Amino acid sequence: MSTLEANAGHHHDEGSYLSGPPGMIARIWQWASTVDHKKIGVMYLFAVLFMFFLGGMAAIGVRYELLDPIRTQTTEFVNAAGDIETVTVTTGESLKELMGGMFADGVSGSQIYNRIFTLHGAIMVFMFIIPAIPAALGNFLLPIMLGAKDVAFPRLNLLSWYIYVVGCLFGVFSILLGGVDTGWTFYTPYSTTTDADHWRVVLMVMAAFILGFSSILTGLNFVVTVHKLRAPGMGWFDMPLMIWALYATAIIQVLATPVVGITLLLLIFERVMHIGIFDPSLGGDPVLYQHFFWFYSHPVVYVMILPGMGIISEVISVNARKHIFGYRAIAFSSLGIAGVSFLVWGHHIFTAMGELAAILFSGLTFLVAIPTAIKIFNWVATLYKGSIVINTAMIYALMFLFTFSIGGLTGLPLATLATDLHLHDSYYVVAHFHYTMMGGTVIAFMAGLHHWWPKMFGKMYSEKGAMLGAALVFIGFNLTFFTQFFLGTQGMPRRYANYVDEFQTLHQISSVGSLVLLLGFLVHLFVFVQSILSGDKASANPWGGLTLEWEVESPPIEHNFHKEPILKHGPYDFDSVVPPHWDPKDYPLPEKGNKH
Amino acid sequence: MMQTLASAQPDILQKLIFGDVPAASEAAAWSDGLFLMITWFSIFFFVLLMSLMVYFTIKYRRRPGVPAEPSPHHNLLLEIFWTVVPSSSMLVMFILGFQGYTSKVVSPDSAMELKIQGSKWSWIATYPNGATSPETQALSRVVDNENHVVTEGKQYPIFYVPENTDIKLRMMSTDVIHSFWIPDYRTKMDVIPNRYTGFGFSTPILTPNDTYVHQETGQVMPGRDMWVFCAEYCGDDHSRMAATIRVVPRELYDQKMADWSVKLDPIDAGMKIWTQLCKTCHETNGTRLVGPTWNSVKNADGQFGFGYEALLEDGSSVMRDANYYRESILDPNAKIVKGFAPAMPSYQGQLSEEDIDNIIAFIQSVSDRNPNAGEDSESSDAGETEGETEEAEAGSDS
Repeated sequence: MSTLEANAGHHHDEGSYLSGPPGMIARIWQWASTVDHKKIGVMYLFAVLFMFFLGGMAAIGVRYELLDPIRTQTTEFVNAAGDIETVTVTTGESLKELMGGMFADGVSGSQIYNRIFTLHGAIMVFMFIIPAIPAALGNFLLPIMLGAKDVAFPRLNLLSWYIYVVGCLFGVFSILLGGVDTGWTFYTPYSTTTDADHWRVVLMVMAAFILGFSSILTGLNFVVTVHKLRAPGMGWFDMPLMIWALYATAIIQVLATPVVGITLLLLIFERVMHIGIFDPSLGGDPVLYQHFFWFYSHPVVYVMILPGMGIISEVISVNARKHIFGYRAIAFSSLGIAGVSFLVWGHHIFTAMGELAAILFSGLTFLVAIPTAIKIFNWVATLYKGSIVINTAMIYALMFLFTFSIGGLTGLPLATLATDLHLHDSYYVVAHFHYTMMGGTVIAFMAGLHHWWPKMFGKMYSEKGAMLGAALVFIGFNLTFFTQFFLGTQGMPRRYANYVDEFQTLHQISSVGSLVLLLGFLVHLFVFVQSILSGDKASANPWGGLTLEWEVESPPIEHNFHKEPILKHGPYDFDSVVPPHWDPKDYPLPEKGNKH
Repeated sequence: MMQTLASAQPDILQKLIFGDVPAASEAAAWSDGLFLMITWFSIFFFVLLMSLMVYFTIKYRRRPGVPAEPSPHHNLLLEIFWTVVPSSSMLVMFILGFQGYTSKVVSPDSAMELKIQGSKWSWIATYPNGATSPETQALSRVVDNENHVVTEGKQYPIFYVPENTDIKLRMMSTDVIHSFWIPDYRTKMDVIPNRYTGFGFSTPILTPNDTYVHQETGQVMPGRDMWVFCAEYCGDDHSRMAATIRVVPRELYDQKMADWSVKLDPIDAGMKIWTQLCKTCHETNGTRLVGPTWNSVKNADGQFGFGYEALLEDGSSVMRDANYYRESILDPNAKIVKGFAPAMPSYQGQLSEEDIDNIIAFIQSVSDRNPNAGEDSESSDAGETEGETEEAEAGSDS
């Protein structure tokens, strides 16, 4: 920043959003009190990445325990005095050996395992994957892609961030007190009765409750921003598909999250005040909780995946230099998924509901698969006759098509009632949702992070290093989770610290895979740190994109645009428009007159 | 349709997917067939999509100076085609899935009803004549060369069922939600407190290859063992909430029924309840589990056993007498022994007065301060005589 600008404080909109006043405390205060959507997005990014690290370590802990089943061996013999004596030895309590000191005396290996897998699920779902794309990348990109200075309610946006932080603190506090063993789904009456003399469960439930508000407020902010702050010239069907995806996501967040908020509150009431809502011994209905919970938590899996699909639409079309195939089909399928997602919660409860309900929910579940399939076809068709460049973001986008297709297709036997009765609550389900959540959302998040990293921080990263990381992630991911399909079909139930010997080989392969996966993410961490410290300066439009974020500097100035942008072309008109800040010599436009 | 799908199983894929767990019934084999059908469908479309993706990525890779070729931005016919094809395939899956579901959950009216009770962390099966199975087996049991008996894992209950019979499960939980999964039948249902759930299955006709090894005697017997796992997370020992279903010839089943309907003497009856319900948390050999051991022993945790004082969490102490045990069964959190967590559920309403008497008799029997020690031999003799008479009666009835 030049001296002139530094002196003229009120002209702050001319400098990069990352620059700030000198002095550590002033910098921290500037970030902590910012209403700039970009700074808030970046703060979310570091927070969710930290949570991803915590949840990931818990996952490694789970895989470590499962290398070897917990076994009790009892030896019975007649001692010298002629009495029968028994000696009991427990083996395979790997986690207890590693971290038993962190828990109270007398906590068994199974109990530690139960807390670790709950920790993994709760952190990954509530603190990482739900906010990952909408709150981190979404906050940063949504206003710029719309051509706006900020979201509609910047102060509300800051409030969402602080609510998120408070929610996470509740979660971390609960973990520091010893953690909870309810599973991230808090099924009643287990969750209302377990660990009865402690506040840990209440704290963790409160964490989820508070995080819900952050989600609702962000969703509300995005809906209003999309409706009111589009740049002049940008009609609904000129919006990038990323915006459509974030819009559909925001609608689900606003409509579904209050339901889980009420449910979790009822759970706390029952636990603390013994009001009988879910526990039959108090006159409640335990399955009611599952209906309430999945009425939110099923739509929420689309909160997790829809923004990922938005990223894939952007990355594929930019790097193939092609107009996205079937723009309207993709846009409407996002809304279609958002709508149908509210009608399929029952498929989580097939084994605890009546026959008629099960049949209805099975039929509705198949419905939600169709728009997803259409999107995959559209992305593959977009590649046709493109000019495809392979960079890290594109590798991740293609990887998404691979892993997410497996995730989607393996959902079919789960929607099919006859086969679901076998696969329900088995490792098959674990593998299936990791292929959709991790193979879908996390892989798309990685694609988006690499795609927009230069825009966010103004620095390029080492493509070679990032590609190595991507390769390790791909191998590790498939090794970890593909084996689990077979564990499930062969009869291995979920959430077992202890299993019969015939499952051990597959478990060991899976555990080795998780280490490769960890290594892959560590390579990425290294590449990003190196990029921030010594990366080359990024140009405004390194990939040749046509959406508005590529018209502003990298990193953008505080108010994004020097003057209000007017949209003159669609987001994917690669066959007729030269991208801004882009040298057309190497990448000529197709012959004119070939539109459509 | 039923027959075709079941008989059209390609062996290698079947083996790869389901391992060494052959489908135990027609309905299970049918659902395996359906699973394989969906798998082939998925493999076909996955390979097609991935081949196109890889082919396009290579064929249309970026070359300097070469622009992307123009192509349509959408194509209505193509889009209708790829909406209709998956939709209609899924309609087929839905209908077949519905068909298979009914054959799994519905059972004939004549089916034998087996009552299943789930509680943290054990299963109890009650037969139509009111008997429950007292037999258990560990994961493995070996006698090593020093004549030591080495067992692996917990003692899991064995539920005998006759071959070639329709069976209907009526299940209920006494505490939290469990799920009764028999992988060999490819079916599970949640076991919920305060509500009956269930499903049906028909047991196979045993072939000469169907044998099991009796763990105690080492004898090879005709029959087929199948695992039962709890599939709904239920807490600490969720992963040890297993059982074995043993399909046996009708004669052996009838024999077991006759044996188990005999009235046991209080200590044996108490021991049976202990194996079914209490053993997960209370040992009788001094081992510390979730709860205190029941036998009289003094170790690092303190003094245990009937007739000895218990040191409580609040620093006071109480005599372990019959009333103390009765209260601990009905209101477990009233008095917590120092160093233990209040983790026990109440058995109020689940155990009869007679059951409680029997458990107390058993607890007394493993203490060196057993008040009935002098009469022990007599009473157990009496029990046996009584048992024999009833057995004889049962024999004459049949």
